[in-house]
Parts: sequence; structure tokens; C-alpha cells
Amino acid sequence: MYRNIILAFDFAKRDIKERYFGTGLGQLWYILSPIVTIFIYTVIFSDFMKMKLNIIDSSYSYSIYLVPGILAWTSFSTTISRLSNSIFEKASLIKKLNVPVYTFQLSILFSEIMLAIIAFTLSIIFLLLVKQPITLSFLWLPVILLFQFIFAFGLGVIFSLFTPFFKDLKEIIPIIIQLWFWMTPIVYVKDMIAKKYPFLVEYNPIYKFIQIYQHIFLYGNINGFYKDIVYIVIFSLLSLVCAAYLYKKMISEIKDII
Amino acid sequence: MKDIVLEVKDVSKIYKKYDNNLDRLKEIFFKKEYHKKFIANKNISFSLFKGETLGIIGINGAGKSTILKIIAGVISPTSGEVIRRGRVTALLELGTGFNDEMTGIDNIFLNGSLIGMTKEEIYQKKEDIIEFSELGEYIREPIKTYSSGMKMRLAFSIAIFSEPEVFIVDEALSVGDAHFQQKCISALKKRKNENMSIIYVSHDLNSLKLLCDRVILLSDGIVIEEGMPEEVINSYNFLISKLNDKENLILKQDNNPNSYGTFDIEIIKATVIGKKSKSNIISSGENATIQIVIKSKKAFKNITIGILIKDRYGQDIYGTNTYYQGKKLSTEADKIYICDFNMPLNIGIGKYTLTAAIHLDENHLEECYHWLDRATEFEVAGVDGDLFIGLCKLDPNITYKEEGVQL
Repeated sequence: MYRNIILAFDFAKRDIKERYFGTGLGQLWYILSPIVTIFIYTVIFSDFMKMKLNIIDSSYSYSIYLVPGILAWTSFSTTISRLSNSIFEKASLIKKLNVPVYTFQLSILFSEIMLAIIAFTLSIIFLLLVKQPITLSFLWLPVILLFQFIFAFGLGVIFSLFTPFFKDLKEIIPIIIQLWFWMTPIVYVKDMIAKKYPFLVEYNPIYKFIQIYQHIFLYGNINGFYKDIVYIVIFSLLSLVCAAYLYKKMISEIKDII
Repeated sequence: MKDIVLEVKDVSKIYKKYDNNLDRLKEIFFKKEYHKKFIANKNISFSLFKGETLGIIGINGAGKSTILKIIAGVISPTSGEVIRRGRVTALLELGTGFNDEMTGIDNIFLNGSLIGMTKEEIYQKKEDIIEFSELGEYIREPIKTYSSGMKMRLAFSIAIFSEPEVFIVDEALSVGDAHFQQKCISALKKRKNENMSIIYVSHDLNSLKLLCDRVILLSDGIVIEEGMPEEVINSYNFLISKLNDKENLILKQDNNPNSYGTFDIEIIKATVIGKKSKSNIISSGENATIQIVIKSKKAFKNITIGILIKDRYGQDIYGTNTYYQGKKLSTEADKIYICDFNMPLNIGIGKYTLTAAIHLDENHLEECYHWLDRATEFEVAGVDGDLFIGLCKLDPNITYKEEGVQL
């Protein structure tokens, strides 16, 4: 077990090292791509379109609202989609080596956590540049993010276990993810759907996370979200337990069919 | 009794066949059965001792690969268990765990860690691995530029330097060239002397005889024999020859391009069978019988039956006939005759074909009743008696003495 976690770390490191192998800018891309994301949303929405939220007094308010949601969503969705393909992708290794499947899945988790840390660090720098106050409540960010990753990991592993049985899932999952994105108040604000579709806000697990990031970025506190944090902890762990249960039950069968 | 490093206890593997994946999934969660069974391994038990080399043979589909995968821990058995005492490294298929985009060196680290080596171990052995693989400067090139032989060399080098307690080799050696095969076999022998245990699977009966202390014969997922290589390989050959028998009846002449003549006398069967092996896979030096069965339509006098052994390049190795051997043969109408050529098969290791002929007098130029190329095939594997190389066994008598002249 211990050895496999070390191995997963190794793979994650290798993965990070190699993703941009052969590109001219190399690992600079890890910093560049979130910068570009942040830049696009700032320049387009705040400078060109002059979109502004009247909730806080900053000409960049809309960008400040957008950035944490976009970054958190990106990391959530790539974690899930990479995980759901993981068994297929590593089939050649899984079939020939005595390395448990979860090692490869953990390595995906680790490398995505690393990328999220980079992205969120850059977003903090962005906040400093637009003179948005940074408070102690920002320390909640890594905690919430960690649970987001546990949740994404559980969900992704569950998907990965079912895809070998139904290859259609490979096509369906990206569609679900895309729909989910637009059903979550990330680009638009909560009030725009809260009245018409209250369930999208109430029962959308990922929004529970994103709402907190948005609030921290905009107001620098987490007042009123304590109950949500309890929910987050509960369903993150629940998804992990479900994933572990299904993994145990299904993995040997999966090895027979891939 | 030596220490046991690996114990296979009553292992069975039953693959379940389903009409569709939904049924498969339903069965995981509900009690109802939806599958048909396919038994790949049934109640297999054996132990592997320290420093022992165990061969596993069997015809295609006998369950060799399945049991190896179970031993390696890649798939789990349906019932029974495998107890491993130490690192088990398997070279199951060529290039296991390589990333094609990465260089050879990076792949040493990747593959090494996948088969359970620590970082420090890999650093220590990196140079040895590169040297053994003989890849030279190629080690800095991406694996995708490698030939299959080169990949296999790298895979083998990493595997052998990971110093496992149990090393599983499945057919992997067959990809390399003769030089590297030899190197692998001597490396295996060396590690064996250092008490590594090996499970070796190959269709190359020679290397099996050379390496193995014990051989297990699998058939339809069951161990049907276990014992000394020589004996088990003979049973294996017998098994194969039974399969071949079905195909052994000679094709009708009109659709066989290798067959010509007047067909007044016809060759109806030709076999090569070893005395000990009871099959067409024979040790060099073993007594063998080449049997030609003929059917005569008319009565003839002074007929000659000839045989010619050719190697796989079509080169004549040995040929003789009853005329040269001073036998006068004759036939009566509508009778079947059996002609046996008994001799020690003093020819080198390899695959051979047998050509048989019936003609008048010395050779087939005058009157040929039936000439049949590729009447049957046989293989010479392993050497009975003193080892030698080459095509023929000459049995020299060696003397050695001091010359007596002071220099």
C-alpha cells in the first residue's frame, strides 16, 4: 500500500514533467495556461464588455467572481474525465503488471492537485494586482479544495469502474460534465436561476464548493457557509467510501475484460 | 528439502462468458447467474523451490499464460491462492510498461519502479542495465524508434537486474537475435546459481531442456504431468503428435503439387517416430524409425523405396534408398507394405522435412511410381549423449598426449 502511494507520487511527478515535453516553453505552460484563463476573463469581461457586478466596489468585480469558479471547475472536470478514462488508458500496463489500478488513479489525483495549487496561487496574485483584500479566511481555500478533490476522486473512480462495462459512458461523461457546468452558477450569478430552478442551486454538490470560493474571493469571509462545509465533508467522504466499495467488488472482474 | 519461494495452491481460473456487459454487471451486484463458464485453469498446485528452474509447457490454449498471470499477480484466481515469498518479476509480454515517447533511460526508471525497484536500486543498477542491453547510444533515443528486439533487450535487462526471487519468462526470448538469446540464457543460468528461481515458458524445447530442472505439462487447464524435463517433453511431443495425426494422412495426389509419378505404387503414409519420445520430436542421437507405407496396384519386381531428409532451407541432409542398402523389394497387386528405416538420428538440432519416393532400380530417373516431397515433418530437439553443434554428429575419438619434444 505504502509502496503504491509512493509509486503514484512518482507517476504524478513524471506526468507533470512530461506533459509539455517537446514544447518550446516547456513547463512554463503550467503557469501560462491559468494566466491566460485569468487574463481572458479579466480583459474581456471587465475591460471590453465592462461587465460589473454591483455587489462589491471594484471594476474587476465580475472577474473576481469568475476566476475561482472557472479554476475550480476546470480542475474538477479534468480530474473526473481523466479518471473515468484511466482504466482504458492504462489497460496495457494493468494487464501485464502487478500494480493495482488505484495507483494510476491516485497519480492522476496528485498531479491535478499540483496543477490546482499552481492555478490558485496565480489567482491570489491576480487578486493582489486588482487590489482585492486577502484575509485569513483564504486559508479555508486549500481545505475546501482538498474535499473537492476527494469528491472528484470518488466520482471519477466510480465512473472509471463502469466505463469498461459500458463503453458509451466514455462519450456520455463529457456531455454530462458540460451540462453540469452550465447548470452551475459559475459564469452567471446564482440569483439568475435561484428563483426558477432552485434545485440547481440547492442540490448541486459542486456548487456547494464553488459558492464558497466565490464568496471568499469577493468578501474575504465564509460567514453563513458553515453548514455547507459540513455537507461538503459528508458527501466527499461518502463518494470516497462508495468508490472504495465498488472498486473492491468490481476490480478483479474488470481485469478479466479489459 | 530446499526453501519454497512460491506456492500455487489449488488455483482455478474460470472465465465467465456473458451475452453482454449488462449481465456481467448484474451478476456482480445480484445473486442470479448469467454466465457460461470457460475453465482456463483447474486445480493447479505446485511449489517452486529456491534456485530451481521450472518449465511450463502445453499446446496453445492449455492455460499457460493464465497461470503465469495469476502467479505474477496481474489477474486474480477464481479460487485457490498463490503464496509469494519475495519479489516476483514477470516478463510477460515484450515491452511491458514502456512509454514509447520516452527515452530508454527514462523507461528504465519507469519500468523499474513498476516492477517494484526503489529509486536507489535503479540508480545503482542503471549502468549495468544499459551495458547488458547493448543499446549503446540508442538508450538516449525514444523507445518508439526501437526495433522489437531492442525493446525486448531493454525489458529483459531491467527485469534481470531487478534481482527478483522469482523470475517469470514467457516466450520473451524468442524475439531477440541468437547472440542476445544466448546472453539471456547464460544470464539466467548465472542468476540461477545465485539462487534465483525461474519459471520458464517456451515452445523452444531445446532451451527448456537446457535450463529447466523440472517441467510441468498443462493440457486444457490441468497439470497432466510433472517431472524431469526429458520425460515431460516426451509426453508433450506425444500430445502434439496426436494432434498432428489427424493431418498426417497424405493428401490425394491430384491436389498436391509436391507429389508426382505414375502412381502404380502409392505412398499412403510416412512417419518419423522417436523410440523414446514416441513422437515426431526427437532428440539428436535417439533411435528413430522412418516408416513408409505403400500400396501397390500391380505386381512389381526390383522396386526401390527412398527417403531424403531436408532441413528447413531445403538443403539435402541425408538420403538413402533400399537399392543402396542392398535390399531387393517386390510387390504383389493390391497389397499394402510397410517399410521401416531404423537408425539413430545423428543430425543436428532443427526442423526437417522428409521426402519419400518409390521408383525402379537405382534412382527415379527411369521409372518413378511416386515421388512425394514433404511427406512428413519432424523436429530434432535436444541432444541425447554428448553435446555438439552443426548438422551432423561425427562421434570423434579423442586422444591427448605430450609431444615429447623439448622446445
